[in-house]
Amino acid sequence: MGWWGDNVPEETLSRDEASRVVRRLFRMLRPQRARIVVATFVLMAQAAVLLAGPLLVRHGIDAGLPNAKHGGDAGALDLAVVIYLVLALVGLVLGRFAIILVARIGEGFLKELRNRLFGHMMSLSLDYFETEKTGKIVARMTSDIDAMQELVSQGLVLFVQNAFVFVGAVVIVLVISWQLALGILVIVPPVYFGSRWFRRVSNKAYLEVRDRISTNLSTLQESLEGVRVVQAFGREDAFTRKFNRTNEDQYHANMHTVRISSKYFPVIEYAGVAGTAVIIGYGGWLTTRGVVTVGTVAAFVLWLNNLFEPINQLSQLYNTVQSSAAALAKIFGVLDTRPTVRQRQGAFDLPKSGAVDVEHVTFAYGPNEPVLHDVSLHIGDGERLALVGPTGAGKSTLAKLIARFYDPVDGSVRVGGVDLRDVEFVSLRRRVIVVPQEGFLFAGSLRDNVRVGRPEATDADVEEALRVLGLLERFAAFPEGLETEVRERGSRLSAGERQLVSLARAALADPSVLILDEATSNLDPGTEHAVERALEHLMHGRTVVVVAHRLSTAARADRIGVVFDGRLAELGTHDELVARDAHYAELYRAWSTHQATPEVA
Amino acid sequence: MDDEAETKQQKTARKEAEQLEGAQTRKQGWRLMREAVGAHPHLMILGILAGLVWAIARVSVPLLAGAAIDHGIAKGRTGLTLTLTAAIVAVGAVQAIGTGLRRYAAFGLAWRVETDIRMKLVAHLQRLHFAFHDQAQTGQLMAYANTDIQQINNVVLLVPLTIASTIQMIAVAVILLLRSPGLALFALGLLPLLNFSAARFNHRMYPVGMKLQQELSDVSGVVEESVTGVRVVKGFGVERMQRARLSSEADSVYDRSMDQARLRANFMPLIDLLPTLGLVGILWYGGHQVLQHHLTVGDIVSANLFVLMLIWPLRMIGMLVGQLPRSAAAAGRINSILATDPAIDDAPNAHALPDGPGAVRFERVTFGYGRGPAVLDGLDLVIEGGEAVALVGATASGKTTVARLLPRFYDVHAGHVRIDGADVRGVRLNEVRRSVGLVFEDTFLFSDSVRNNIAFADPEAPTEAVVRAAKLAGADEFVRDLPEGYDTIIGEHGYSLSGGQRQRIAIARAVLADPRILILDDATSSVDPTKEHEIRAALAEVMQGRTTIIIAHRPATIALADRVVLIDEGKVVADGTHERLLATSPRYREVLARAAVETQAGVVDDEELLDLPGVGD
Repeated sequence: MGWWGDNVPEETLSRDEASRVVRRLFRMLRPQRARIVVATFVLMAQAAVLLAGPLLVRHGIDAGLPNAKHGGDAGALDLAVVIYLVLALVGLVLGRFAIILVARIGEGFLKELRNRLFGHMMSLSLDYFETEKTGKIVARMTSDIDAMQELVSQGLVLFVQNAFVFVGAVVIVLVISWQLALGILVIVPPVYFGSRWFRRVSNKAYLEVRDRISTNLSTLQESLEGVRVVQAFGREDAFTRKFNRTNEDQYHANMHTVRISSKYFPVIEYAGVAGTAVIIGYGGWLTTRGVVTVGTVAAFVLWLNNLFEPINQLSQLYNTVQSSAAALAKIFGVLDTRPTVRQRQGAFDLPKSGAVDVEHVTFAYGPNEPVLHDVSLHIGDGERLALVGPTGAGKSTLAKLIARFYDPVDGSVRVGGVDLRDVEFVSLRRRVIVVPQEGFLFAGSLRDNVRVGRPEATDADVEEALRVLGLLERFAAFPEGLETEVRERGSRLSAGERQLVSLARAALADPSVLILDEATSNLDPGTEHAVERALEHLMHGRTVVVVAHRLSTAARADRIGVVFDGRLAELGTHDELVARDAHYAELYRAWSTHQATPEVA
Repeated sequence: MDDEAETKQQKTARKEAEQLEGAQTRKQGWRLMREAVGAHPHLMILGILAGLVWAIARVSVPLLAGAAIDHGIAKGRTGLTLTLTAAIVAVGAVQAIGTGLRRYAAFGLAWRVETDIRMKLVAHLQRLHFAFHDQAQTGQLMAYANTDIQQINNVVLLVPLTIASTIQMIAVAVILLLRSPGLALFALGLLPLLNFSAARFNHRMYPVGMKLQQELSDVSGVVEESVTGVRVVKGFGVERMQRARLSSEADSVYDRSMDQARLRANFMPLIDLLPTLGLVGILWYGGHQVLQHHLTVGDIVSANLFVLMLIWPLRMIGMLVGQLPRSAAAAGRINSILATDPAIDDAPNAHALPDGPGAVRFERVTFGYGRGPAVLDGLDLVIEGGEAVALVGATASGKTTVARLLPRFYDVHAGHVRIDGADVRGVRLNEVRRSVGLVFEDTFLFSDSVRNNIAFADPEAPTEAVVRAAKLAGADEFVRDLPEGYDTIIGEHGYSLSGGQRQRIAIARAVLADPRILILDDATSSVDPTKEHEIRAALAEVMQGRTTIIIAHRPATIALADRVVLIDEGKVVADGTHERLLATSPRYREVLARAAVETQAGVVDDEELLDLPGVGD
């Protein structure tokens, strides 16, 4: 059917880019070389079998049927029929073989590409995920690879097959009768230029359609999400009218494509009929001159189909190929991105001590202004330090550097006396653990989610980690206990429960240094207490750096670091800092006046 | 044993009921499509007529070609050959015009029907009651308006195209049968199999395709969670674990894709083979008939052309057969929504809202959501016109429900909700809604300019009115600082505002509507406490001469009210001034204290160390 629009490429590659992409694609396909060679031969054989059909019709008519030269030969006719039949069956077998073989090559390639791309993404450092939008990153792995899936699953066979058939048909008609061949080749230019025009005009029209669809869908989505507001203000009619406009816009954009294709398809069909007319008229004239036989004329009528179908199909596939190439270029772009935080050669394990030294650290995100200037800080093994400060001051960045999510531009971060840049990743991720402010859950059971802390942990280890935090009973009481699927409907965990899972994960990892980002949003009162208690257990005997949002939390730490404008402005105990009457004292005063309600209970 | 037998019986009964329901849905789906198509008879007629012209012209070409070979070429009559060739060229022109028109009509009809049904669906959804929207998922409704309607489009498109193809097929069969029944048999005998195979192929492909889609969405699930949870993945160094999960999903995609490839390998070469067998049959049977002088070479050539020309129409019929039940089911799903009547609508004899100061009365109101437990249980509440009342209660105590019943978002199960003495069920819905201005807890703003968002209730409102409303809501200052002031586009596709800013715009929106009764449902909860007092001052002005219901926890906000009503378990349990309740009601103290703990956060800042892009779930 005529859905050209499904695959209109948004941006097309320049010739240079395209050839680079193709060369790299071929390099990636090299391991499949043997299969590709076999598949090529199979597809060529298939094209040959297809094109041999009309040749046999020609032979059957000229040698088997009566004409001016002889009175007919039933034997010759039957022979042609039998060979034709055999070839048709051979074509069937080849066709099956080709589809399976090409699918193995293509799908195998996509599988490999998925694994490789995802593996590479996972190896990239945090800066990549913070600068690129989530949607875009996900799109590389989904819509971009899916765009190729369509090419691979259907397009690839058709593309190669049609190319062979077309080239084969051109060769065979030229060999059989170059005069008649030139006659029908007259039809090719209008078809070629018509297709080019169509592609150009319809691509634009389909991009417009895509735009209109997305506008219309977002109007629709908004009208559904905002339906309560619409009804509350009695604006149903106005909103229905608004949707009517975007809906009609979509209709008109679609009708534009219909008008284009209603012009193009008649031209293509007419070219087909005109080709037949040329073969009959010009072929007939050539026959009377004795240049070609009647059988040749009949065969040409059949070959005409083999010339037109491929042009038609190839021009349909053109878009698919283009969007696949564009998608592949984007994927290669990701594969070429290098991780900024790397494990160096000869990296070694981190020692067990939890002492943290930040020495003259300066840091900037990319080429931007530094967000930390020459920060130095010593945290003793087992000490609890709270970082406070206004938004954007750099306290979170400091915490990220201690976890080596980034490397400092200048200075160094040491844990247990060792520069983090010399440390082996696996041991770093065991010794220094970050607990994010939102408990993030992966698809899977509660047990799987805790086990993320240490993938090789046994069931007993997982339960022990929960027990230490006083959470085992709580989660065991779930309908399916620790096997409860966390993402399934009905077993939705509250924000507090997610946080508990996140803490258990950290406990299982058993780190020396714990970095906590305090939640800004409220937990349900039911779990608030459990979280507090679990945290207390978790922090016991470890070095803790907490990025504090509540001053009540900060006040409980051993020492408080106030980060202000990228510098460590103040450092000391709560009492010391209040007495000092500077930044911290000011923050504390502002906060306590807003605690308007008396502390009850 | 008996139990088991029973469950088995029940199972069969249920299955039968489901099947019956499916059949019923499809039947209604058919009706919906028939009606939608029936609204545009001219396109359908144009499509069929153009198709008829196209079919006749197309069938003439092989006949003319055959005649030219037999009477012109074979007999060396060049003049006749050229005349017949010219005839082919002329007929081709008619065919081309026919094909253009029939495509135009078929696609035009399909898009028109799609557009009409979508409009009808969306207009209906806008009118459906809150309870419906509470249960429906936006994604599901979007799918109805998008993919399901496309399924309808597919079938509407194919109908006129297939009618023309069928006419053509019959014409070819008749012509060949008249010329030679044997030739007709060999040429066309196997072609119905092609039709059958195409239908079967479509039918078998569909579930495999769905499975593949499922696997692809599982892949994207793993990717999405790895990206949104990248800090956890990196923080614990479990990249390898995620890679293994993706790898197993990628294997499943490979397996399902290969299932698809095998199905294609089973059907496609067969579908290609059938017409070829027709050509072989023509050569053999036709050839021998020529040898016996019953048929001519021209007959063979035209029979060949007939076979080639029928390949696509037959495949298309196969596609239509495969498409029909899917489209009917999709149309049935849409119809089931259209058949849902809005539960909240004007009563047959609905009257105007009587004039008044906005006095509110709840009389022994009982209410619960859907079939759930009662949320309000015989609640009595009287609010005088112009009075400001704070509703206080623990989570799920029913205070928000009170706010929702007043503008008649839901109807009470028992009792009465009255505004200025009139039961809201008897008043014209539009007037009830306009008399109550509600600022929701979860602020929803539209992707539109700030001005249009504030002037939502009255798009014609003059700029001064918009600015005044914004000032009263404490929004004017920050709006002026936006890149384009009041013309700044906000919302999902525009400038993103903080929670507090959104709430202030929502308050301005309610203020502009100038309602008799204003309800503020936790409307300042996201506003920075340091700024809240500015809004409070402005709110005091808005509340002048207007009945106001405030749902709040912060004592400072509660202080705006003349009176506090404590709601617990769906009933009013205490009523009086803030000071009196603090002194006399332990429950009141408890509720406030808990709320204070819950809202303690967020003073210092809201910088996130480990913010999850797009929050993962």
